[in-house]
Amino acid sequence: MMDKDKLRKTDIYSGAAICLFGLWVILQALKMPMKDSWGGVQNVWYVSPAIFPLFVGCMIMLLGALLCRTALKMVGFKAFGQTVRWLLSKALLQFFNSIPNLRFYTIVVLFFSFVFLTIPRIDFFLCAFLFLTVFITSFYFDDAMLLKKLFFFYLAGIIVLILYFAFGVNDPLSQIVPFPADILTTCFIISYSVYAWMLIRSNPKLRKKYRIAMIVAVVSPLVVGMIFKYFLLVPMPSEGLVVAITDYFWYLEF
Amino acid sequence: MVILERIGFFFQTVIHIASDPVHIAILFGSVILGIIFGAMPGLTSTLGVALLTALTYGMDTATAMLCLLAIYVGGTYGGSYASILINIPGTAASAATALDGYPLACKGEGGRAIGLTTTASAIGTIISMLFLVSISPLISFFALQFTSFEFFLLAFFGILISGTLTSPDLVIKGWISGFLGLFLACVGRDLLQYYPRFTFGIPELDSGVEVVPVLIGAFGIPQIIQVLKDQFQIGETQKFQRIFPEFGTIFRNIPKIVRSALIGVGIGAVPGIGEDIAAWVSYGAAKNASKHPERFGTGEYTAVLSTEVANNACVGGAMIPLLNLGIPGSPPAAMLLGALMLHGVTPGPMITFEHPNFIIEVAAILLLASLTMWVVGMVLAKQVVKVLRIPTQIFMPIIGVLCIIGSYALGMNIYNLYLMLPVGIISYFLIEMGYPIAPLVIGVILGPMADENLRRALMVSQGSFLPVFTRPVALILFLIIVWTVLSQFQLFKDFKNKLVSKIFPRKAGKAELLPKGETKPPEEN
Repeated sequence: MMDKDKLRKTDIYSGAAICLFGLWVILQALKMPMKDSWGGVQNVWYVSPAIFPLFVGCMIMLLGALLCRTALKMVGFKAFGQTVRWLLSKALLQFFNSIPNLRFYTIVVLFFSFVFLTIPRIDFFLCAFLFLTVFITSFYFDDAMLLKKLFFFYLAGIIVLILYFAFGVNDPLSQIVPFPADILTTCFIISYSVYAWMLIRSNPKLRKKYRIAMIVAVVSPLVVGMIFKYFLLVPMPSEGLVVAITDYFWYLEF
Repeated sequence: MVILERIGFFFQTVIHIASDPVHIAILFGSVILGIIFGAMPGLTSTLGVALLTALTYGMDTATAMLCLLAIYVGGTYGGSYASILINIPGTAASAATALDGYPLACKGEGGRAIGLTTTASAIGTIISMLFLVSISPLISFFALQFTSFEFFLLAFFGILISGTLTSPDLVIKGWISGFLGLFLACVGRDLLQYYPRFTFGIPELDSGVEVVPVLIGAFGIPQIIQVLKDQFQIGETQKFQRIFPEFGTIFRNIPKIVRSALIGVGIGAVPGIGEDIAAWVSYGAAKNASKHPERFGTGEYTAVLSTEVANNACVGGAMIPLLNLGIPGSPPAAMLLGALMLHGVTPGPMITFEHPNFIIEVAAILLLASLTMWVVGMVLAKQVVKVLRIPTQIFMPIIGVLCIIGSYALGMNIYNLYLMLPVGIISYFLIEMGYPIAPLVIGVILGPMADENLRRALMVSQGSFLPVFTRPVALILFLIIVWTVLSQFQLFKDFKNKLVSKIFPRKAGKAELLPKGETKPPEEN
């Protein structure tokens, strides 16, 4: 959490945003049937589906306005002006480029690419392996420069994957080669691992961390995935190359 | 006769669970897992319960409850390890323990301190279990008299009080958080007319927002971001020798244990308030009642005892409103509610009719979980403490994968992930800006109850709000809500102080002599 002074300044904006959000909820609720008929039933105001969202919207708007007012009263309009000036200055860019924020972007990009890009399209074991490899190596090395390099390498790979799926290359390719997206991801994992190794190979301490990171990244998805797939009988979100191999061995009759 | 029958069934359940090796294995496994989740700074018992819920999907309700309650009890206790040995609370609930636990460890008495917290935690859980069994029928009886107005007001009160007490900054933020949760609960087709609200034509949103992915997102993702963004490092662990059960200290402090347990149960029973507040209140009460308050903070055994009894007593306390009213008493209890619903058990006043023995089963599980926790604490503490050596940069990404697969596995719906992640990111920003997350979660859970009961109540009264003032329970709840809201405003506080000074002029005059911010005259040495 931020310090009190910063909190009050952000409260002005968060209060205003919440107030606007409350207004939006009210406007949406007003579109719901209040007294008109819905599904053949003539409505009365007190059974309308709008009544509760209206109440919630009004409360959110009121509390948002109250928060905004309280914050303004505490820091004053002068501080508000200072914040606006800060937002328009170069300091904002410096803030966005800071190392803690780089860590934040890395985590967010990793999660978003994992959830929205790879999980629905690529074999679960492979995408979890990719996610863990990048996640653990980026943070476990504990070096801002390495984090930056590894993050941009990962970002480049993710952009390639986005283009690959956006241009619909996967479907025609899968007619020729089985599991093309999984093969592409495997190539990405290998190239990332090689790149990370090249960056840290001169440092014995980091070499040890690299080995640990790779072992954890391989073992964890296998253990977690196996438990869910074969013991809890939960089919993986996307089953491809690795699942085909594990299925083969799991259902093999000796 | 009924009471004897119930006691008989209680012991029958205890023996039934204890005689099954599979149950015992699950109990020990879950308690150890809970202790690990509690001990690891950055992980919480709520997250432990959330992640384990996915694994219990295929189990029967009793086994699932065994698993989840054991991890809850273990997680609440496990936080004390990190508090005592590295001065970093493993969970918020054990923050108060660190104040005196760590100085004890520095003096080389870490083993004694852990032994004391282990026994105190077990006693706290057992006392709260007794309260759960004895108070539940009474609350259920009263709850059956409740009509829709009372249930709406109760849900509303739950969100307000949770917002008031859990807010780390301004109280308004806690309330906003609660109402944002209520908004999330509005998404989907409404329960009375099936009108799609805030669905934007997305069919997956028609059934509303799934509670468990929201909980996992709200508690798991911000935790991962916070720990890794701020480069949280676990410090050097203090060494300790043998662990003693400290029965002597326990016997000497029975009145203090009872007081702390009462505080824990009472605070646990208040909707949405967690173990952390119980521990702090108990710590404050112990300090105020102590003959040597100056020793607090330097390694006082009674301080460690009071916080640990209270936070574990909160577990059973939180079960009281959860099982009898369907209102979770704490964030992990909110998670348990989600798990119970997954298993087809709807907590509330009807639980005594639909599942007559369920509360006794829960009590039996609590007793066994606390005994298991005690055994694990005494025998395996040294081994469990080793998990504190695992770097956060390694286990946090694994937790990330577990959050994702856990959210997906509940319903096997990839859309749960699309919901979980944005909720997690938004929760992170809310936490950074000083908004508590517990009221948001309580809002999501209590939203459907509030919505349905408000409209049903208005339907019965033909749109009139008069029953709020004519029904005694509704009126009391309404007055409490008004008091809770008004008491946060300076204008009301000033008015109250003026009123007090007029009624009790001597007391007010004495208060005026005290320096600003001091409410109690300093004790004479």
